[in-house]
Amino acid sequence: MRMKFSQILISFIITLALLIGLEIVTSTILPALGWKEYRLTFNVLIILFLAIRMDSPLVPWLILGLQMIHSIFSIEGWALGTLAGLIVMMSANYLKEVLHLTTAFMTMLTVQLFQVIWYVTVTLVICLKISDFDKFGLILWSFIPGSILLSLISPVLFWMLGLIWRVPSEGGSRGVEI
Amino acid sequence: MKLINESSKTKIVNNLMVAILAVYGISQKRFDLNETTLFHQLVTEVISPVQEGLASSKKSLTFLWENYLLIVNTSKENNVLKKQISRLESDLTTMEEVRKENLRLKRLLSYSDEMSHQRVMAQVVGWDSANEFKVIRLNKGRNHGIKVMAPVITDHGLVGYVYRVTDNYSDVLTILDQNNRVDVMIERTRTHGIVEGVFNFKCALKYIMRNEPVEVGDKLITAGVGGIYPKGIKVGMITDVTKENFGMTLSIEVIPSVDFDKLEEVLVLIPTEVASASAVSPALAPIEEKKL
Repeated sequence: MRMKFSQILISFIITLALLIGLEIVTSTILPALGWKEYRLTFNVLIILFLAIRMDSPLVPWLILGLQMIHSIFSIEGWALGTLAGLIVMMSANYLKEVLHLTTAFMTMLTVQLFQVIWYVTVTLVICLKISDFDKFGLILWSFIPGSILLSLISPVLFWMLGLIWRVPSEGGSRGVEI
Repeated sequence: MKLINESSKTKIVNNLMVAILAVYGISQKRFDLNETTLFHQLVTEVISPVQEGLASSKKSLTFLWENYLLIVNTSKENNVLKKQISRLESDLTTMEEVRKENLRLKRLLSYSDEMSHQRVMAQVVGWDSANEFKVIRLNKGRNHGIKVMAPVITDHGLVGYVYRVTDNYSDVLTILDQNNRVDVMIERTRTHGIVEGVFNFKCALKYIMRNEPVEVGDKLITAGVGGIYPKGIKVGMITDVTKENFGMTLSIEVIPSVDFDKLEEVLVLIPTEVASASAVSPALAPIEEKKL
């Protein structure tokens, strides 16, 4: 299935709005309710959806756009996540024959696997930037609880994003070509 | 030989372009200070009022969570009675919150009286949405006299410094963040060291030699070196001292003086010359006369 540019634009704007809503939940509502220790990094989940389920030359630019919005809510900035997103996207391309997100469990498992790739990349770059590899394990470990929660949420969010991007829920990993 | 088709070429070019942009972005990135871009300024000013609104409805959210969502399955009769009680409790909670807020603000003001800085009181409206960074967003910015690198405190001690600032909002790199290094000294022995954020809302005190007589319970204050923090602000307390079999320094765990779990209002300290040079907003005016 091929999407028109106008459809892509609309889907992307809806995705950005969803990301802003979820970022506000993570940065304001959950801390206000006392949940401060672990963050649910929804930008990772949305980018994983695009990286795993979409097959398009535009995906890198969509990732960049999403990360620009994420940088409003985090000093992490846009660049780190963009690089991690690209690496995840390329890994997903190599593994596309074995990726079948047909059940909720498979979705969770796949999301957890790609989150590990994402966080290893991010942690490596942070350690390089701060010139301190002693903290590698500590930083990586800080991602784990949040990433497990995200994996549990992923089937629901992937279903919602599937509706936004008109990706069929069954039939292999690559839904839409744009 | 398999030829690369047109679509694959476009993909490769796009991937490369974005990758180069990302690598350049990473090379320019600083985790200890940030210049605000126009994009960041515009979007923050649009989105942050929503955060501010939600943060100020914290009481209502907490009340809703504790007093409605958790009792949704009780009987109708109980609901009627509980609603009445809830309404009364709500009034009481609001009054109690106002009383506590008053008390906190009074303590905050009297604590900062001892310092030679002007101050801007601000409320915490959000936390960084990434796990690895411990940053808070305040509802005051450039228009209120806040500048980057301004120290941020509460009556309990040091919170951090202003990392980036827009017209009406500012982000503070807290001492819990691994990128924030605070020059401190142990109050009892006057030994200097560096406090760094580590995982789990704790900090580590580094570069203390093995032969230093450091004890659990020792208090840490800012050393006033480095040009960001004034001397003498409470930073934390030593909770664990480990002497490894190797190395020249001790491994020391520190609990910050500020309870970041309950952080609501903070004071931003502005050096007098910076504050007087900047445009002073009405929000700053009432407290401006009183030098800290």
